[in-house]
Amino acid sequence: MIVCVAVVGHQNNPLYIQSFTEEDDALKLHHIVHCSLDVVDERVNNPKKSGPTLNETFLGLLYPTENYKVYGYLTNTKVKFILVTTDLDVRDADVRNFFRRFHAAYVDAVSNPFHVPGKKITSKTFAERVSTIVKSFGLSSAG
Amino acid sequence: MANLGGPCLVLTGNVKWVERKVWPGAVEEQKERMGEDKVKAITTSWLVLVVADLQIESEKLLAVEDVSDLWPTVKNAFEERLPFKRAILNNKTRNPVLVDKLPAEFILTTDARLRSRFPQEQLLFWFREPYASLVLVTCEIIAVSMMIGTVSFMLVALRGILICTSQDLDEFKTILKPRLKLIVQNDEREWFIVFVSKAHPNNDQATKMAKKVYARLEVDFSSKKRERCCKLDIHGPEPNFWEDLEIKIIESIRNTLDRRVQFYEDEIRKLTLYPLFITFLELLACHNTLFCSQESLAFMFEMAHLHEDALREYDELELCYLETVLRQLTLLDVVLQAAVDIDIFVNMTGKQREFGGIENGDEEAALLNFENKPLTQIVQDDSFREFEFRQYLFACQSKLLFKLNRPFEVAARGYTFIISFSKVLTQHENILPFCMREVWIITACLALISGTYSNYNEGLAAPDIEKEFYRLLGDLYSLCRVKFMRLAYIIGYGSDIERSPINSASLSMLPWPKPSVWPSVPPDASSELILQATPRVKHFCIQRKPLPLEPSVLLREANRRRASLSAGNTFEMFDGRSAIDGSGSDAPLRMSSLNKAQTISMSRTNSSPGFDGSIDRPMRLAEIFVASEHALRQTISNPNLWKSLSSVEEFEQKYLELTKGAADNYHRSWWKRHGVVLDGEIAAVFFKHGNFDLAAKSYEKVCALYSGEGWQDLLAEVLPNLAECQKILNDQAGYLSSCVRLLSLDKGLFSIKERQAFQSEVVSIAHSEMEHPVPLDVSSLITFSGNPGPPLVLCDGDPGTLSVTVWSGFPDDITLDSLSLTLAATSNADEGAKALKSSIATILKPGRNIITVDLPPQKPGSYVLGVLTGQIGQLRFRSHSFSKVGPADSDDFMSYEKPTRPILKVFNPRPLVDLAAATSSPLLINEAQWIGIIVRPIDYSLKGAVLHIDTGPGLMIEESHVIEMESYIEVSQRAGDIANSNSALNDCSLADNKDFERLSLHDGRIQLPDWASNVTSILWIPVCAIDNNLARGSSTGIYSELSTAFISMYGLELLGAILVKATLNIFDAWLDLQDGFVHTGKGDGRPISGFFPLVISPTSRAGILFSICLRNTAAEVEDVAVQPESILNIRYGISGDRTAGAHPPVTAESNGSEGARQDLIFRSALVLQRPVLDPSLAVGFLPLPSDGLRVGQLINMNWRVERLKEFDQNKDSQCNDEVLYEVNANSDNWMIAGRKRGHVSLPTEQGSRIVISVLCVPLVAGYVRPPQLGLPDIDQANISCNPPGPHLICVLPPALSSSFCIPA
Repeated sequence: MIVCVAVVGHQNNPLYIQSFTEEDDALKLHHIVHCSLDVVDERVNNPKKSGPTLNETFLGLLYPTENYKVYGYLTNTKVKFILVTTDLDVRDADVRNFFRRFHAAYVDAVSNPFHVPGKKITSKTFAERVSTIVKSFGLSSAG
Repeated sequence: MANLGGPCLVLTGNVKWVERKVWPGAVEEQKERMGEDKVKAITTSWLVLVVADLQIESEKLLAVEDVSDLWPTVKNAFEERLPFKRAILNNKTRNPVLVDKLPAEFILTTDARLRSRFPQEQLLFWFREPYASLVLVTCEIIAVSMMIGTVSFMLVALRGILICTSQDLDEFKTILKPRLKLIVQNDEREWFIVFVSKAHPNNDQATKMAKKVYARLEVDFSSKKRERCCKLDIHGPEPNFWEDLEIKIIESIRNTLDRRVQFYEDEIRKLTLYPLFITFLELLACHNTLFCSQESLAFMFEMAHLHEDALREYDELELCYLETVLRQLTLLDVVLQAAVDIDIFVNMTGKQREFGGIENGDEEAALLNFENKPLTQIVQDDSFREFEFRQYLFACQSKLLFKLNRPFEVAARGYTFIISFSKVLTQHENILPFCMREVWIITACLALISGTYSNYNEGLAAPDIEKEFYRLLGDLYSLCRVKFMRLAYIIGYGSDIERSPINSASLSMLPWPKPSVWPSVPPDASSELILQATPRVKHFCIQRKPLPLEPSVLLREANRRRASLSAGNTFEMFDGRSAIDGSGSDAPLRMSSLNKAQTISMSRTNSSPGFDGSIDRPMRLAEIFVASEHALRQTISNPNLWKSLSSVEEFEQKYLELTKGAADNYHRSWWKRHGVVLDGEIAAVFFKHGNFDLAAKSYEKVCALYSGEGWQDLLAEVLPNLAECQKILNDQAGYLSSCVRLLSLDKGLFSIKERQAFQSEVVSIAHSEMEHPVPLDVSSLITFSGNPGPPLVLCDGDPGTLSVTVWSGFPDDITLDSLSLTLAATSNADEGAKALKSSIATILKPGRNIITVDLPPQKPGSYVLGVLTGQIGQLRFRSHSFSKVGPADSDDFMSYEKPTRPILKVFNPRPLVDLAAATSSPLLINEAQWIGIIVRPIDYSLKGAVLHIDTGPGLMIEESHVIEMESYIEVSQRAGDIANSNSALNDCSLADNKDFERLSLHDGRIQLPDWASNVTSILWIPVCAIDNNLARGSSTGIYSELSTAFISMYGLELLGAILVKATLNIFDAWLDLQDGFVHTGKGDGRPISGFFPLVISPTSRAGILFSICLRNTAAEVEDVAVQPESILNIRYGISGDRTAGAHPPVTAESNGSEGARQDLIFRSALVLQRPVLDPSLAVGFLPLPSDGLRVGQLINMNWRVERLKEFDQNKDSQCNDEVLYEVNANSDNWMIAGRKRGHVSLPTEQGSRIVISVLCVPLVAGYVRPPQLGLPDIDQANISCNPPGPHLICVLPPALSSSFCIPA
């Protein structure tokens, strides 16, 4: 289950964080997303480590913890997408697909002329679209 | 090898076990001989020398005692060479590898370790066999001795033969040589012979003998391919002997190693190609053999110090193992599905699936300790345990990695191993002791940390690897920390764990332990008090729902896992409180031996009703804690770890240690955020213990991190803590700034009450007695900007009023005691900013406020707003024009990304207003007329402007008149408007839009109205041209009566010229005549009244005729007053538009009487002269003959002169009747015959006439002017030409003549 998705700006400022847990514990997900920026930074600043994947937007698994997984995605404008999932069996292809769709939704949202770049995304349409994408996560592969 | 299957199943390659199995009793034997230490060293790579009996295998050899002194004599010299330096060995891929130090050991053939090998084992443990045999030969004592050496686990066997001959060659041949042959032939080992010569150099015979024997030896044993002999002279060895020996030994070792590697590889290849679908046990057997072979290979490499290769073998081994496990599982599935061989399955599961880890002490991770456990027992049990095996494997790998100086790799692999092994443990959790997994992870992490850290030296690796290493250590610490917290929670320290985001993130997603049965309360549970936690109230009365630390309600989880539990009463389960608040948080506060009456308490004594023996009753939370604690005590064997969990203080100490460890290591890595966040956790502990100074420092770091990147939600969690610390520390500046930061956070993060609390803190401090008034930066809270739209534009020297928008982020109104704004010039940075002060108190409402500041005159330039400063009570605050931490989300607040906009522009002096005449038109003399001045501001406001007017000479402003001012529309624009609309209605509306105002003039100054400050307007000023002289006509000559009409025409023309664009209405015109003139007829000199009014439209002309005649002077009476000149009077009116330049004069009372006709009088003086024409003579030209004139023809020109009136003798003094005449003619054209000039007599009577004839001959043909007759004595005015002579007459060419004289 995806518990949280986030868009983080190029100055590492949160632009959009949505958690999908029932409990009132969004703050811990904020923490997870925020800390995952360490890994993103490390990958971006360490050309040796990133190696061949330097030019790829999909950063892959950021956190190999016991209980949840954090995936990252970096756009060309250095905007990061973070996905936190409690599914321990996630296929990379699914995550890639998810991020691809999420990226499309993000691009649409920021193309809105009323959106101020660098500001939080408040679009309801975007939120709805994201929740649709989250709901459909993994369904394609399962089916 | 197939027959190896059975026993090898358990021979998983544990060295210790091998030692015991292969050499039973050997260790004990060695213990006796060398003591404990050295025996232990066998399993390491230290050197051990074992010298044993010589004669074990060869009875026929001579007694040992005789030779026992040879090995000891050379032993030291031999062993000095150890370990071998710079040996070159081949690795698995047959590439030479330089080994700097190759440890070796010499042992004798009689060594216990070489005994009792089962043949089949020998193959597998071949690596333990000696790697070279050295045969020592001497020729002085008849004895044969054999020595074997081991090199650590790689043995170099030295097989020494000490030949004690009677110094004779025969004996060598007969006894020694066959024996030697036997030795080297039977032995598969690499061998060579060392001939030890004891012969003293002085003893020639002995030396000679020794040489002989050695020569013999060489002949017999050395071949061309390989030297197998060398000679050691005890009394003086050859200089290169030892090198030679070393080379030989190493060569032997290399060869042996190669052969054995080859063997193992073949073996492994065979095993991996084993058919896939053999029976399960066979497969296992095969694979276990494979493991053994592979590990042996690895081991061999390790002994040869080829650590890389050894490591690779271990890696392969691990991979192979994991594959096998996977294959086993799939096979198991196949077997289960097919239900083929149930017996096998049972057998297999019974034996093979045993996991291990259930023994006491197993929970202590042994992943770096490969000799942790005596495995004899396992071997004896003939069982294979994954738990031990995988840890052992990892230990071997890490040992090699440490040797390779790669501790960071150990950390990396270790972390992955722990995570993956933790999963394995989860699978087996139901058979493992309670919380075994958590304890194992804790100990594993700690072991890894200390192991890698002790093997790590700063600067060992590249900086990025180093950073990675520290990151891994941080990861290990934090993993350990999480598990430790979990254990602490289970035994009831939950309330001492900070419910911070990081703890919540790691704990609430971590599932509870899943033992098959949750431990129940032991009967001897001690009496303790469990007090309900009263959650600490945060500063500012901030109330937040605590973040969860538990994945689900522990109470439910624990009770669910109890075997014989019925669902029970939920209310009872939750102790009657958790269910009420519904938070699901079961965080009690454990307080031993404290009795607080106020708090709801629950006794943990046995006397408590229904506490003991009620297995069916759901456990209460307190009971769960007690039960867990007892169960954990069973699990944990490490006293230190247990101690850390024994009390809250110990727990906190350990917790702090782990958190600090994690934070420090993260700080040294790339993961700064992790480090800083953990600093916050440390701060929480400091805070709890009253160490506010340190706590504040750490909190500050955390806040800086969060606010720097705009993570306001997280910031809102920490910032109140920081504020509280600062308040306690009496750090007013810090506290105020924290309050301001709290206020400037997103509004949604705090309730309005909380925000008001922040504000009231700020205000109360501001108005309290501050010891050191502190400046406060409120940039994020009070922001300001110029008003939208273009900047205020001023000219040099103009004062103004600046209007500034200020946003207040305070939740309530706030009173600013004073306010000042600085203006900074954009062009000139050197010039300091100028402050604009407003000392009156300003009350800022929440949100947008507009304040105005008086602006003194500024220098030319462009200005931006600089800093807003002000005071609230004692507090001096300051706000920069834009701030990064500002509430950037709402559009009300200025965005920091916007560039600074100039708020004020001051220009250099320039024309500000354009004054121009509306029209250029002449004025009516002595009539007040409008003069229009167009006032056009040039991008400048004329507010309050005063117009000075100086008329100059000849003009005067009627001060009594009002001055009119109206807005002005350009003519072209107006024309366009009219063209567009082309209707009267529109004209009206146009007029409606006009502003109009009457002004008055004071001292030549006019105050312009406000509405005219920005629009073009026109000012109408009544001006009078002053001239006291009468207009005077300039015409002089009037020749006849008819011509008199032109007099008045002149006047009208004058008028018409003045009023070009106006319509002229002439109502009346009359002529006051001078003396001597009278109007003809009986009228008074006026034209017929029916003509009037006469309308003369613009650009047209009109004429008025007056008929006058000379007055008969005789008839007139002389008493009429003498009038020297005539005056033309015209009464007229003008209708026209003043904007067009012509209009009626301004009336004094020009209010509302615009419709009333104003008659103006035009007066112009004319001088009339008496008529002067008085012809007295008439000269007539008599006609010429009609047949025309010809050139050369003589003609008579006749003029008739007639006297028209009587010659007035009075007037003419000449008084004779003669008239002088003169004929004028062009002499080119005419030839005059006769008198051209002369007097003729003409009688003086009227009517007398004479004819004057003159003969003329025309000289040229054509039209020529005829001769003229003039009367020079008589004035031209008195001559009339009647009939007048022709201007031109036609002269024909001469007629043709035939009588031409032709010269002869």
